[in-house]
Amino acid sequence: MAIDMSQFYQVFFEESAEHLAAMESLLLELDIDNPDMEQLNAIFRAAHSIKGSAGTFGFTDLAETTHILENLLDRIRKEELTLRPEMVDAFLEAGDVLRSMLEAHQGRGAVDSETVEAICSRLRELSSDKPPSPAPVVQAPPVEPVSDALSVAAADDEVAVRIPVDTGRRLYDIQFLPTEIAAKGVGVDNLLDELRSLGELDIACRPDNSADSPGFWEIRLLTAAEPESFADQIDFVAENGAWRITEDKSVATDGTTAFGFFSNSPGIPDEERGYGFFSKPTPESAADDSYGFFDPLPAPVNSSPPVMPEAGEGYGFFEPLPVATQVPGPAIAEEGDGFGFFAPLPVGSPEVAKATAPVAEEGDGFGFFEPLPTPLAVPEVSIPAEAVPPKPVAVAASSGTKPTAKAVPAAAGAGDSSIRVSVEKVDQLINLVGELVITQAMLLQTAAQMQEQAPERLVTGLAQLERNTRDLQESVMSIRMMPISFVFSRFPRVVRDLSSKLGKQVELKTSGETTELDKSLIERITDPLTHLIRNSLDHGIELPEKRVAAGKSPTGTITLKAYHQGGNIVIEVGDDGAGIPRDRILAKARERGLPVSDQMSDQEVFGLIFEAGFSTAEQITDVSGRGVGMDVVRRNIQSMGGRVEIDSMLGIGTRMTVRLPLTLAILDGMSVAVGDQTYILPLSYVIESLQPEAGDIKTLSNQARVIQVRGEYLPVVILHELFGIKSRWSDLTQGIMIVLDADGVKAALFVDALVGQHQVVIKSLEANYRRVPGISGATIMGDGHVALILDVSAIAGMARSIMQKAG
Amino acid sequence: MDPKTQATADADEDLIASEYLTFTLGSEEYAIDILKVQEIRGYESPTLIANAPPFIKGVINLRGIIVPIVDLRVKFNLGNIEYTPFTVVIILNVAGRVIGVVVDSVSDVISLNQSQIRQAPDFSGSFDTKYILGLATVERRMLIVTDIERLMTSADMALIDSASE
Repeated sequence: MAIDMSQFYQVFFEESAEHLAAMESLLLELDIDNPDMEQLNAIFRAAHSIKGSAGTFGFTDLAETTHILENLLDRIRKEELTLRPEMVDAFLEAGDVLRSMLEAHQGRGAVDSETVEAICSRLRELSSDKPPSPAPVVQAPPVEPVSDALSVAAADDEVAVRIPVDTGRRLYDIQFLPTEIAAKGVGVDNLLDELRSLGELDIACRPDNSADSPGFWEIRLLTAAEPESFADQIDFVAENGAWRITEDKSVATDGTTAFGFFSNSPGIPDEERGYGFFSKPTPESAADDSYGFFDPLPAPVNSSPPVMPEAGEGYGFFEPLPVATQVPGPAIAEEGDGFGFFAPLPVGSPEVAKATAPVAEEGDGFGFFEPLPTPLAVPEVSIPAEAVPPKPVAVAASSGTKPTAKAVPAAAGAGDSSIRVSVEKVDQLINLVGELVITQAMLLQTAAQMQEQAPERLVTGLAQLERNTRDLQESVMSIRMMPISFVFSRFPRVVRDLSSKLGKQVELKTSGETTELDKSLIERITDPLTHLIRNSLDHGIELPEKRVAAGKSPTGTITLKAYHQGGNIVIEVGDDGAGIPRDRILAKARERGLPVSDQMSDQEVFGLIFEAGFSTAEQITDVSGRGVGMDVVRRNIQSMGGRVEIDSMLGIGTRMTVRLPLTLAILDGMSVAVGDQTYILPLSYVIESLQPEAGDIKTLSNQARVIQVRGEYLPVVILHELFGIKSRWSDLTQGIMIVLDADGVKAALFVDALVGQHQVVIKSLEANYRRVPGISGATIMGDGHVALILDVSAIAGMARSIMQKAG
Repeated sequence: MDPKTQATADADEDLIASEYLTFTLGSEEYAIDILKVQEIRGYESPTLIANAPPFIKGVINLRGIIVPIVDLRVKFNLGNIEYTPFTVVIILNVAGRVIGVVVDSVSDVISLNQSQIRQAPDFSGSFDTKYILGLATVERRMLIVTDIERLMTSADMALIDSASE
């Protein structure tokens, strides 16, 4: 079967990148002295998933490197090695290497094979520098003394597998019921071949080939591979989830081991070490191969053996089993690996208890065991054991078994109930909803024009429609929204790396990670924020000695904060460092010939550091100081429709505040009329509007006009002159002046009239046309007409150039 | 392949007809590849674009897409430029863009094969011959077969950023 694997590459790349990111954040969170097992497991799983899919897609370099990484991780999580800081460093570095490999496979950049080799050997070194402790996993010594090598006596009825001391390999007990097709075809053979390639395979039970129906297989596999890696293949061959893999941790295989699978006796003698689903629930056997969270089995009676199995690796959940009788609760759910949910089985009497045992034991026993309403305390209990039909009870929710097994690793991913949808589809949806909103507005306007003639029901219907469309629009918009933690999560690494490089002690504090903003903004804000953080680290936070001398704690703090304010999202990057020296910036600015004065406000002075090529760093480090960067930061943020401000106090710290619109797709706008045209002004730039008095407007060299507003002379931009439209008014006093503030540049814009305030959906003018100076986009008004959105920054810039020409 | 079959093959190719939409600008009749035409609609007054060349009338809302409108009559100085209820806009889909073109009227859809399209003589004028694929005669009318995609994406239409720079 030839499948074009390349179509899945993109998914693989995305997933692997996510796994790498998850791994990195987990590594950074890891408490080295006292690592949390769950976290180590999560890291291991991430590495393992990358390895698995890299192998599947044939990216062997990735798979190999991850394999080495995984080996070391595996030994750490098994507590054979203790975690040390340099291991975390190596892991982080390996993560970087893997990421660059991923990118190289996507055609971006190349991988330096030396780096790869270096990290591989470092990982190997780390994993080998301490001899492995004796395998804690293997508990039972081999019964038969076998030679040191693995010896597998594959016989039809006899099994002797010696567990090697090598802990990397484990013995799995695999049972499955193949589908008819797989059994008749080569499906099963292929599977067996596949498994053989993974390790030592031994067929414990094979069905009679002559039988018409596909029979039950039981095989045992001794392998270093993880069960997940072959589970899928088994699942493929097996009938609807009729399979299971049990890890056998304490195999004492002595040939006579009973694979007491269908043993009907509820209490198999424990010595027989059952591989059965339902052996006697002694603590011992339960601990052997139980993978379950066993809720306490209330066995209130003395004769019942205490059934408190230790939770193994936890596949499956067992509800309390109230055993109400004196009978040793006969193994209702001593589940091998328990892919199932067991609801309470109220056991009412010895007979019933006996009866229930076979109930659960029959068949493949995966599934949800419904409560068995057994008539409690009815004296004439007349249910013979065989009367309880075993099969119908063990309703195998077979498809549910696999998810259960997989749910455990996934649980760490904190409710990953999301789907992957291409951004294009979402955008299309947003566009369509935008259309709907416009159509709805058109209808509403038409109804409004009908005034009294509009039937009551139409009016209420339209009002309803308006509400619904607004809700729909909001929820569709929220699809694109992502928590800012996607950006924040990368900064611990940045801070960690940089602070060690600079010899500073820095702690990063984040808050408001759940604040949501548009995906496109998330992508674009990352670089500017990284820059701001690097800047804080390099220029803001002082060296530990200096901090101590200044009476501060040697560890500096960088705070990252995100929150909503009005229709904006605000991201603050603060540090408790040295602050920005105002006089040094002023001196530097004078040196560079910038027009500055001592009367400038702090804000304006600090704003100077955003000028291109401006740097106060005494020496250029490879972190920052070249003076490029901050101007790029400001430009990037402005291009997103946001702005950045700096507050700083000498010796106390600096805070940079980035304000961004929530989304790029919708804009709060004010519509203005010029002649017969309507234009939209982004509301965030509008400060005030006023009707000019006759004497307010003055001219400079008889060309440029200025207007005095609250003691300030602002350049006047006359929109109809700029755009060559005929104004309704010949006299400026009849129109309206709108005072705009575009990133610190103020200007007054003359328009004919204010029309109203709208939320408008931004449409690209460039999709079918080209960029127009002074216009940032277009939108569709309620009447279906197009209105152009003014580019306020460009217009303010035009005002400035007019002034400069005049001056 | 002997010359005879070669000739037949050529003739076959010549006979493969393509469909063309014909429209008039003043007294001239033009033909464009019908596959480039998305739809035909009436003229509605567009939103002006500041400082655009006079033949760009502005932009309209075509079911949510912002579409620029070009008046070819202005561009080619043809006919009386007036906008009546019968003024027609041909919405073109060229080079991945949607562009509206104002013409006097749309006349016909005709089939032309290669042999019917003759080489246009070189001439100088407002209309650059490089946009003319050839001239065709149908029922004694002369059709100017135009490469509309090339025309619309050309620098002198000023419709596309890269071309205009």
